[in-house]
Amino acid sequence: MNLMTVLLVAAALIGVGVWGALAQQTFVMLMMGIEMMLNGVILAVAGFWAFAGAGLPKGQVLVILSMAVMAIELAIGFALVTAVYRARQADMTEGIGSLKG
Amino acid sequence: MNEVEQLSAPLAIVVVAAVLVVGVYVSSVVDVVAFRSVAGQRLRPGSAALFPARVAHRLSRQQSVRTERPDMILRVLAPAALLGLAAAAVTVIPLSPGIVVADVGTGIVLFGAAEALAIVAIFFHGWSPNSPFALIAGYRFVAVALSYELLSMFVLIGAAIPAESLSIGAIVESQAGLWNVIRQPLGLPLFLIVSLGVTFSGPLDLLDSNDLAGGGSVEDSGMQRLAWQTARHAMRIAFAACAAAVFLGGWHGPVLPGGLWMALKTFAVIALLGFLDVFVARISAERFVRVAWGVLLPLAFLNLLIAGVGAL
Amino acid sequence: MIDVAFVVFSVAAVASGYGVFRVDSMIRATYLLLASFLNVGAILVLLLAEYLGVALLFMMTVEMIVMGLFMVMFMMNPAGLNPMNMVHQPRFAAAAGVVAAAGVAVVAVFADFPVAPVDAESATTRELGIELLGGSMLVFESIGVTLLATMVCSVILSSATGRFGDGYEGSVAPALEPGGDHRPADDLYDPDAAGGMDMDMDMGDMDHGEMDMGGMDMGGMDMGGMDMGGMDHGEMDMGGMDMGDMDHGGMERDS
Repeated sequence: MNLMTVLLVAAALIGVGVWGALAQQTFVMLMMGIEMMLNGVILAVAGFWAFAGAGLPKGQVLVILSMAVMAIELAIGFALVTAVYRARQADMTEGIGSLKG
Repeated sequence: MNEVEQLSAPLAIVVVAAVLVVGVYVSSVVDVVAFRSVAGQRLRPGSAALFPARVAHRLSRQQSVRTERPDMILRVLAPAALLGLAAAAVTVIPLSPGIVVADVGTGIVLFGAAEALAIVAIFFHGWSPNSPFALIAGYRFVAVALSYELLSMFVLIGAAIPAESLSIGAIVESQAGLWNVIRQPLGLPLFLIVSLGVTFSGPLDLLDSNDLAGGGSVEDSGMQRLAWQTARHAMRIAFAACAAAVFLGGWHGPVLPGGLWMALKTFAVIALLGFLDVFVARISAERFVRVAWGVLLPLAFLNLLIAGVGAL
Repeated sequence: MIDVAFVVFSVAAVASGYGVFRVDSMIRATYLLLASFLNVGAILVLLLAEYLGVALLFMMTVEMIVMGLFMVMFMMNPAGLNPMNMVHQPRFAAAAGVVAAAGVAVVAVFADFPVAPVDAESATTRELGIELLGGSMLVFESIGVTLLATMVCSVILSSATGRFGDGYEGSVAPALEPGGDHRPADDLYDPDAAGGMDMDMDMGDMDHGEMDMGGMDMGGMDMGGMDMGGMDHGEMDMGGMDMGDMDHGGMERDS
């Protein structure tokens, strides 16, 4: 377990996340893809902190910031999905062509 | 501290298994004694003591019912995960001054994580049999559980503040002078409410309840039922042990050895939970959600404030 | 030992992450994502970021519970009883995924990072706590305020009587007459609204104060469909009834 292997795992997670986010049609699956990407990012940041950051506490703060971003994105994402569904009856990405209105 | 004092793996397994087996048996006996005393049927002590064994014997020979297209992986996973999480929760609780399976530095957060994953396991229990009442019960339980989830973390953090550490061993040691139930009076009642919720008993008996014809357990029979009841009692043990350690002073006590005090306090909390299970009527889910977010959460904040002021 | 654990956790994380987008059952997809997060949390604990790992476990569990509910709400095949493949631009997405992973992997393998490992003896949790309320207090408070703004925003965006559409439209049965109101009773009292059960039974007005059910054998009766909601059971005499086989919920206390 060294920085390279941790980053390779993070790369795999980010790759899976990008694939999922771009391939899925429904909004909630799209959000799961974004969650996977953030998962990879958190792992990468923690890896940097553990191996190249000398355990500096600010590295942990960055991880906490990423976790908070994940929570915020989830909350707003679901609220937006609900709002879009109510306004346009669309639950798939093909359902809305533009964000107007 | 990243240094964790821990028992060796075989000894750890033996200790956790002993705690859970004895605890589940005692909890089942308390449960049936409480229920029969309310129902007006007195049990002889002998038959009360043998009751869990008789029930286990009967259920192990009962036919297991299969529903149409259940989610079998989750159906098997639910009681196994709940039991495993109860075991994981017991590992971070100090059982006596010398015996703690793994006093990790973030023991209380680990306990909270085990509780959250228990909610997931209980949802699986409702989701997996592909049955309407079970699904309703599972959803109802999740709605109520999300409401008291925050309560548990705030009261546990409040108890961690005077200890200046997140490990439960340190929290027990910080109660050498004064128990947390006295210096943070709101902590234990709120934690007991959370315990009642996670073991779906008493006022929060919304999962396997009679008003849904058995709720999540409507399709359970035989070994599935036995496993689920065992897991539920194991979770009750874990919560009772945590309440005893975090709020009732753990192994502190005047004359008897620490381990015996811990056992007595855990038993007292189990008895309290068992009797609340039978004596307090069920609250409707909507009403409890309103009470939890509107009243209990501010009380948890108040508890945190009391803890913070006490630490100044 | 740590390396073995790391390999196990990382393989499990990537495998369950891949499974998220492959399984048919939406609940399984959600909880496979949770499994991926749990494995990453375990790796964080191995990296000696103990509090972060356990906090990640905790946070992601609750997030995935909520996500599971939303998945069942929004997806058309939540239990996976039918096979489903809802993808668009599959090849482009796969290529993009591979490119993204390759990009990060190239950086991981070929870049020259400083070697400054975390000290295994240091109290990382304690240092984190002191840092959060000390040097990074601004970050911490900003996160707090942002989370508050998020809570307010999400309530506004999804409020039931909000500007994005009627929140109750899809969740209540349509009114009996077109144009009738279908809001739930605690929001808008409407005695003509659909949704209340019409008990068009002969027993509607009967006073069951003293219903004598003597002699009835309820051996195998299925009481599922009978709605006894509004009846007054004041003094039901059930003498003589054989309740032999009926599952009477609480009596046995089969615990």
